[in-house]
Amino acid sequence: MNLTTLRSSMIVRMVGLSLLLLLLVQAAGFVVVRASIDRNARASVVRALDLDENVWQRLLEQNADRLRQGSALLAADYGFRSAVNSGDSETIESVLENHGSRIGAAVTALLATNYELRVVSLSGSMVKTPDGLGNVISRLVAQPQSSQVAVMGGVPYQFVMVPLRAPVVIGWVLMGFPIVQSQADEVRQLLGAHVALVVTDARGVTTVPVTTLPADARALLQSDGAAQGELQTQDGKLLVRSSPIDSVGGEVHSLLLRSVDEVTAPYRQLQILLAIITVLGVLLFAVGNGLLAQRLVVPLRSLLAATQRLSRGEYDTPLQHTGRTDEIGNLARSFDGMRIDIGAQQTEIRRLAYWDRLTGLPNRERFREAVVQAIADSATSAYPLAVLTLDLDRFKHVNDVLGYAFGDRLLQAVASRLSEQMRTPDDMVARLGGNEFAILLQHADAQVVQATVQRINQSFEVPLAFDDQTVDLSAGIGFACWPGDAADADTLLGRSEIAMYAAKRKLSGALQYDASLDSASAQTLSLLTELRHAVEHNELRLYLQPKVALHGQPGWAAEALVRWQHPQRGLVPPMEFIPFAEQTGFVRHLTLWMFEEIARLLSGPQLAGKALRVSINLSTRDLMDPELSRRLGEILVRYGVLASAFCLEITESAIMDDPARAEAMLNRLSEQGFKLSIDDFGTGYSSLAYLKRLPVDELKIDKSFVMGMQVGEDDVMIVRSTIDLAHNLGLTVVAEGVETGEILEHLRALACDEAQGYHIARPLPVDDFLAWQARQA
Amino acid sequence: MFVFLNAQFPKQIRAPLSAAAWVVLGAAAQANTVQVAVVDAAGKPLANAVVFLDSAEARKLVKPLAGAEMAQDKKQFVPDVLVVPVGTEVQFPNRDSVRHHVYSFSPTKKFELKLYGGTSASPVLFDKPGVALLGCNIHDAMVGWVLVLETPFYARTPPISGKVQIDNVPPGAYTLRTWHAGLPVGEPAVEQPLKVAATGVVSASVRMTGLQP
Repeated sequence: MNLTTLRSSMIVRMVGLSLLLLLLVQAAGFVVVRASIDRNARASVVRALDLDENVWQRLLEQNADRLRQGSALLAADYGFRSAVNSGDSETIESVLENHGSRIGAAVTALLATNYELRVVSLSGSMVKTPDGLGNVISRLVAQPQSSQVAVMGGVPYQFVMVPLRAPVVIGWVLMGFPIVQSQADEVRQLLGAHVALVVTDARGVTTVPVTTLPADARALLQSDGAAQGELQTQDGKLLVRSSPIDSVGGEVHSLLLRSVDEVTAPYRQLQILLAIITVLGVLLFAVGNGLLAQRLVVPLRSLLAATQRLSRGEYDTPLQHTGRTDEIGNLARSFDGMRIDIGAQQTEIRRLAYWDRLTGLPNRERFREAVVQAIADSATSAYPLAVLTLDLDRFKHVNDVLGYAFGDRLLQAVASRLSEQMRTPDDMVARLGGNEFAILLQHADAQVVQATVQRINQSFEVPLAFDDQTVDLSAGIGFACWPGDAADADTLLGRSEIAMYAAKRKLSGALQYDASLDSASAQTLSLLTELRHAVEHNELRLYLQPKVALHGQPGWAAEALVRWQHPQRGLVPPMEFIPFAEQTGFVRHLTLWMFEEIARLLSGPQLAGKALRVSINLSTRDLMDPELSRRLGEILVRYGVLASAFCLEITESAIMDDPARAEAMLNRLSEQGFKLSIDDFGTGYSSLAYLKRLPVDELKIDKSFVMGMQVGEDDVMIVRSTIDLAHNLGLTVVAEGVETGEILEHLRALACDEAQGYHIARPLPVDDFLAWQARQA
Repeated sequence: MFVFLNAQFPKQIRAPLSAAAWVVLGAAAQANTVQVAVVDAAGKPLANAVVFLDSAEARKLVKPLAGAEMAQDKKQFVPDVLVVPVGTEVQFPNRDSVRHHVYSFSPTKKFELKLYGGTSASPVLFDKPGVALLGCNIHDAMVGWVLVLETPFYARTPPISGKVQIDNVPPGAYTLRTWHAGLPVGEPAVEQPLKVAATGVVSASVRMTGLQP
């Protein structure tokens, strides 16, 4: 439902419906009033006509009375009587005419006592004695006190008859008077009603000799005859009251007419007023209703828009109309409360989804989005950026030993320290999970990253101290730069982690991503294939670096090393493929290959009668392989060599990755009879207490200390202490990296058991080694 | 033989007799007596009807009456009906204090007399038989009749009995006429033949119809 539909539906429906109802009511009222007015008007006209009729009848009767009285007076006139009794018919006629004209009679007649017509006098308009006179006389004889209307020549006359007394009745005088216009006019003036006499003579011709009506109505009457009911004239509607008048010589109807319109005229004004009031009322109603609907619909629309905003996830815009005190206001306030609550919940959900609760840092998801955004932003500005990942060393150990609460505090402290090292607010520190952190550095190239790493390392230099416990902080750090190392955020993040893991493995400083670190990279895949090929096609060569006993112990000793005789590239240095092999896990194949080569060598004729103890490096991967001891055991059996001929060298870090598993495996290997040696001792953080639990036979002092003996007294101290410590624990000590005779002699003086180094011999192919040994002997 | 009829008209008529007396008298009386009973249309005895016997013999016996008068007294003609033989001069004395204007439009005798109170004009000669209807032009209510006869044998019916007796009528053939003021104007008297023998009583009965009130 859009706004237009809402508008059209609500306002139009509300206003329209109520207007329609109002109009219906008004129209019904109007119709009823109009009908009532019309009915009342007609009723009043009818009543008026009743009165008119009475008055008109009375007027006719009075007229007849007047005529009769006049006639009686005339008949009593002595001269008249005297003339009438003269016996001379001419005299009689002349006196009839004379006296008749005195009172306006058109016909005057003298009758005998037996009503026989004796003499008739006619006025000018009447030429001959009318035929109906006999009928008139007989009617009047029957009722001498009344009058009789007769139609003669289309004209209505009113006849009266009076006795002629001398002094008793000696005859009768008959007088006929035309009913004249003046009488009708009198009625018209007196009553305001129209009068018409409609005459239909014996031949059926209708005339209207007397009327107060205008010409057109008169013509209508003439054509319609004695119309009953209504007459529609130019001036309006007339109600007609027709009553027959007893007459001879033709039919006479007296018509009284009254205008309905005249009666309704005042009411019509009232109706117009009513209509105006109705229109005004409807307008006011419409405006009022519209305003009301507007007051209802506008907030509804606003609420609708608000809900649409909410569904789009915009929670910041407050709702309108919350100040209203009515239901709309309640609704708006309720909606607003809902908006705030949903917004808060949304924020909380987002926080949970994007933030790490423990450290308050963004989580991996949030960090990933930030990187995506940063890349998108940098794509236009072409500034480089970098992702730095950081994995705390030995965190699991800290957790195991010091408890998870301590681990959590450690993580919080690290988070805080990392955050302090950020250059700008654009840089972001995130916790990716566990003990892994990540840092997004905007506008940063490798140099900037290195500077940051330096700051981080400095900040880690201060150990963490909680509740009497002090922990040194260290971490493997790797980074990858955009756009150089990766094109997209996920790859960038992944490669930064790869670099970080590599750095951890190598115990080196911060590493930038390189394809060689990445087992998944095309370069790596190619290298892996070649390495596999090398194993299968005997491109690997076993080298042995002699170890010499400093105090005349019997037997030969050497550390086994691998070299790759690449058909195209020549001899590939171990640094170019060993880390890679460790990273990809291929190192296990290399270890087994070497083990087998050495076993073959030991069982072979070249060493017949010679006691050679060979040290082999075991990587973390090897240690984590639960089948390791079995595989080694098989090889021993296959070649019939003793486990004591092997010394397995393990770095501290290899053990510390999963100390429990490593310890278990080391115990089994020791039980098998293998000698165990801690390689690169001194670089790790393993405690002596821990080492003591391991079935270790030998410590191998890291070459950095050995080589440092020549320049620094510190390293001498370390080497001496280490040797003393090892001896106290019942371990033998090997020093590697012996590059000068001075160091060799120094070591000998320090009671170091064995030494190894370029000063003694470089790693040598087996044959050369054998030859070297032969020379030594 | 004349029967004088004057203002004391009832006195000139024999007193009515009882029915028993009629029988006795009838047996003992002269033959030239005529008895007439007049009734109206309903058969009731009619008063004030004038019964008279006409014949050529009787016409010869007519003599004018002297001193006949029709007075106006209390705005009335007195008597209301005056019966006179033809040729009689009638006096019209006005005994009222108001004026009267006596007139007659009747063909029997047309005249008019403008009379002042107490005055008496010259008498009016009624020389033709018939009925003269008298009125007063001033007082429409006044009406009087003068019946002019060509016979000396006439009588006027009394109230109640409606019977008259005319004596001394010579035998002969007569026309018995009966007139009443109620007859319409111009209407002739009711007539019937009557034979009068020399002796004995002649009885007749007359029924008058068409009388006006």
